Amino acid sequence: MPKLRPTTRKLVLLGTIGGIILIAGYFKVFLHSDLRQPIQYNHKIHIESAGMTCVDCHESVLVSASATIPRLEICTSCHSGEPISDSPEEPKLLKFVADGNEIPWQRVYSVPDHVYFSHQRHVTDGRIECATCHGNIPDFTQPVTSTFMPVMMESCMDCHRLNGVTNDCLACHR
Amino acid sequence: MPKWAMVIDLDKCTGCDACAVACKMENNVPIADPAEAQSGRAMFWMDMMTTTEGAFPNTVTKRVPKPCFHCDDPPCTLVCPVGATYRNPEGLVAQIYHRCIGCRYCMAACPFTAKVYNWYDPKWIDGAEVGNPDVSRRMVGVVEKCSFCSHRLMSVKETAHREDRPIMDGEYVPACAESCPAEAIVFGDIENEESRVYRLSRSYRVMRYGEDLGVKPKVYYLSRRTET
Repeated sequence: MPKLRPTTRKLVLLGTIGGIILIAGYFKVFLHSDLRQPIQYNHKIHIESAGMTCVDCHESVLVSASATIPRLEICTSCHSGEPISDSPEEPKLLKFVADGNEIPWQRVYSVPDHVYFSHQRHVTDGRIECATCHGNIPDFTQPVTSTFMPVMMESCMDCHRLNGVTNDCLACHR
Repeated sequence: MPKWAMVIDLDKCTGCDACAVACKMENNVPIADPAEAQSGRAMFWMDMMTTTEGAFPNTVTKRVPKPCFHCDDPPCTLVCPVGATYRNPEGLVAQIYHRCIGCRYCMAACPFTAKVYNWYDPKWIDGAEVGNPDVSRRMVGVVEKCSFCSHRLMSVKETAHREDRPIMDGEYVPACAESCPAEAIVFGDIENEESRVYRLSRSYRVMRYGEDLGVKPKVYYLSRRTET
């Protein structure tokens, strides 16, 4: 190690720390998720108190590739006009309803376009529980902002291997 | 396990190019600009091989549609250093674009020049940006080729599985076979003795390209002429 002047040493130190922060930020080491949902949606209350099921809002999960993020119309079938709870989040929803604007929900789970994933195939045909990939959503009091199971090829292939499903590339890649 | 194969009846084919156009649309195959196309970078998964013989005005033009032959003993898969191209159990020679590193060994190995390379990011003409959502868009630096429309097989398999039955003959057809106005292209399972492809592949008119190379192509051509 060559002998450096104190100012140079400080600069080197600062540079190193800055570099680490930049790299960590790039790979999101410290951040689990930077997603923020427009409404602090409570899955637990909807499922436990209102007695709803996943399919009631994610209506296409059994019949199409995409499970779909609920449309505003689905919310308005219960929430229209007067608030039906004392949640501070409900007025936010009612504002969207009054304005007739769709709620800008942030999508959490997505597969790249070179991957074919079908909910129907997994849930209806494969009889896989939602919780296997999405976690125990009925216990979530906060909106979903991060993935329960990482959307990575390893996760898919491990499960396929365990269940004796094909791991041929062409079965999922297109 | 089915083994997918194609029969192209050159006696029926009029060389209309409908298969090539349908293929381009179905598979989001980029349209090269004229300058690039002139330099031999036009991209076709279903290529119309055109030769003209004789001197004007007594010329004869021959047109032969050429997809990837999905060889049973493919030379391209042997040379791929990353396993981006391989032959799957159903006989489809697959190309996994996100694994491809763009070395183009497979293009050099293919005796039929069935593979094309993305020299630049595809430019889409207005209105064609969305394309077919069932097929991924390839990016610059990867090799691509005819997939026998394997994305169609995915959905056919799903339907058949749901209805608890095998895939019927003619249920899974690529876009080229579907679009052919002369019905010159027949597609199906060559191991199913009741399929049309099986019957046609045993015709006295049958020939395959590269028979002497031992690569066993799964695209059969039918023609009454002795040489095509």
